[in-house]
Amino acid sequence: MFAGIMAVIIFLAMFILIVMDKIERHIVTLACAVLTIVFVFGIGMHSLTAIDETLNVRNIFTSSFWYQSGEASESTGGINWATIIFIAGMMIMVEGMARVGFFRWLCMKIAKWVRYKPIPIFITFMVLSSVLAMFIDSITVILFLAAVTIELAQMLKFNPVPVILTEVFCANLGGSATMCGDPPNIIIGTSLGYTFTDFITNTGAIAAISLVAVVIYFYITMHKKIKTGEEVDVSALNIDPSSVITDKKGFILSSIIFILAVVLLVTHAQTGLTVAIIGVLIAALTFIVSGKHILEILKKVDYKTLLFFIGLFVVVGGLEQTKILELLAKLIENISGGNAMIMVAIILWLSAIASAFIDNIPFAATMIPVIRTLSLTSGVPLDVMAWTLAIGTDIGGSATPIGASANVVGIAVASKNGYPISWKKYCLSLVPATVIVLVISMTCIYLRYL
Amino acid sequence: MDQLIVSIGREYGSGGHEIAVKLAQKLGLKLYDRNMLEEIAKHKNVDYEELAKYDEAPKKEILTRTVRGLSNSHEYNIANMQFEYLRKKASEGESFVVVGRCAESVLKDFEGLISVFILGDIECRIQRISRVRNMSESEARSAISRHDKTRKAYHNSHSSMKWGDARNYDITLNSSKLGIDDAVDLIAEYINKRTVKR
Repeated sequence: MFAGIMAVIIFLAMFILIVMDKIERHIVTLACAVLTIVFVFGIGMHSLTAIDETLNVRNIFTSSFWYQSGEASESTGGINWATIIFIAGMMIMVEGMARVGFFRWLCMKIAKWVRYKPIPIFITFMVLSSVLAMFIDSITVILFLAAVTIELAQMLKFNPVPVILTEVFCANLGGSATMCGDPPNIIIGTSLGYTFTDFITNTGAIAAISLVAVVIYFYITMHKKIKTGEEVDVSALNIDPSSVITDKKGFILSSIIFILAVVLLVTHAQTGLTVAIIGVLIAALTFIVSGKHILEILKKVDYKTLLFFIGLFVVVGGLEQTKILELLAKLIENISGGNAMIMVAIILWLSAIASAFIDNIPFAATMIPVIRTLSLTSGVPLDVMAWTLAIGTDIGGSATPIGASANVVGIAVASKNGYPISWKKYCLSLVPATVIVLVISMTCIYLRYL
Repeated sequence: MDQLIVSIGREYGSGGHEIAVKLAQKLGLKLYDRNMLEEIAKHKNVDYEELAKYDEAPKKEILTRTVRGLSNSHEYNIANMQFEYLRKKASEGESFVVVGRCAESVLKDFEGLISVFILGDIECRIQRISRVRNMSESEARSAISRHDKTRKAYHNSHSSMKWGDARNYDITLNSSKLGIDDAVDLIAEYINKRTVKR
């Protein structure tokens, strides 16, 4: 009882401190993790086994952590080291790509391909944002896309705000399509034993349909806001996309590593390579080709996010070990009366609304044990609930300026360049699109699985 | 001539801005206040009115987040634009008078900085605001309370020093006792003595 109460108090305190944004969030989760170990597992449960299961270090030394010959299996809970190692590897690869100018080159190349026309830039950048976010973290995608959008807007005299808003939305949407696109997905995938193919054929299919719908929606509602009426003679502009490449050899090698990462991820169910070993491989390759720039790349790796994950998993492990999350699962089951359609609707909209205001990573990590229990007790297939949770958390985050990291970064880049996007402007533009995608997703889930 | 930067913090209705304007005229220095944002907007080729909405306002804690050191608080970003602008001007050796914008903290490392805080008796401030803004006394009182609260929150969110705390400024001056013109003369005299001592 004491352990359960402490687990809930620590969890709520962690959430409130993350929302308040006064203390850096990795310090919050790590401090709460220490409190969980001391008060929940130690004083409350007197259980070394609970600590061992939550820290989950032994898992790293098993062969199945790196290579799985058969079906991917569910992880045992606690710290999801596969997620952390994979994200670290991807961060290193992305920093390597950024160093050589890959993202700026890609954006400039596409802008040139559409002859620097604002509306085609608006549409192609939405698609580019979605596609890149399928494989690369949405923060990096938006960091580069928003900066290039502002640069192009200044040169081509168009309004960058609608373009940035739609890029943010499409990055979150693209992230929902794959196992590695958004942190909730990688946590769901590694915790519940799903593969890249499982995601792309389920959430990916829904994201593709949704992308078509939102591109049409955004075109209808925003295309008039983009043009400022000023005509620019594009031929007079001296823009050469290849000039942004800082290291030609490094550029080619980084591009090859990126393609290899995509191939390894797409085929990981067939090759048996887990996301953990893929993370290690691409990081190692990036180091090899980076030579003297290794330190520069390492310094840019967002280690705070990795520490945030470690602390978070321990705190959620506290809720899991004390069976608190089973109570939440029971509550959802009671409200839905065991009806699968109502259960899916609750998970989808609850995840979406929660993710619009709070960080979707702790929310997803908390909900995984809940849906696991729900599936066992209600008989609703776990994968249906996993796809619902992934879409709810990934898409719901788009609804407000604080819902997802990509939104924060997109707005921050715009703001720093003199284009403040107010809450009102943001929500009026993106809440309807969020609702559209959630309705499409719910319909797809109902029609395909229930 | 050695660099001279005069930062003027002020309570709402104390006449601090007017003192800054007259002091800048008297010393033949450029004045930076809201006009800084106009120059920033011009330089960035963006709409000044959009930026001005967030000028000298505190960050809204609950409605904003920071990711990888990037904040989506416009108040925070626009304040930092102005701080960078001031640091750049100061680094270039320019002498100027600056109103508010946490300048006494932002520019504290510049030797030529003289920091001033202007306060006033509440009744005098109410009368001044009623006259200048054409408000009733109660409207003026609530405007003073609102603006001071905002300025304090804005300042203290960017500075480890407390807004209006005499220990953080070279001079804190009650403008109600001397009036605007004498306050300007007194500050100018202080500046003169300080510059002679350098």
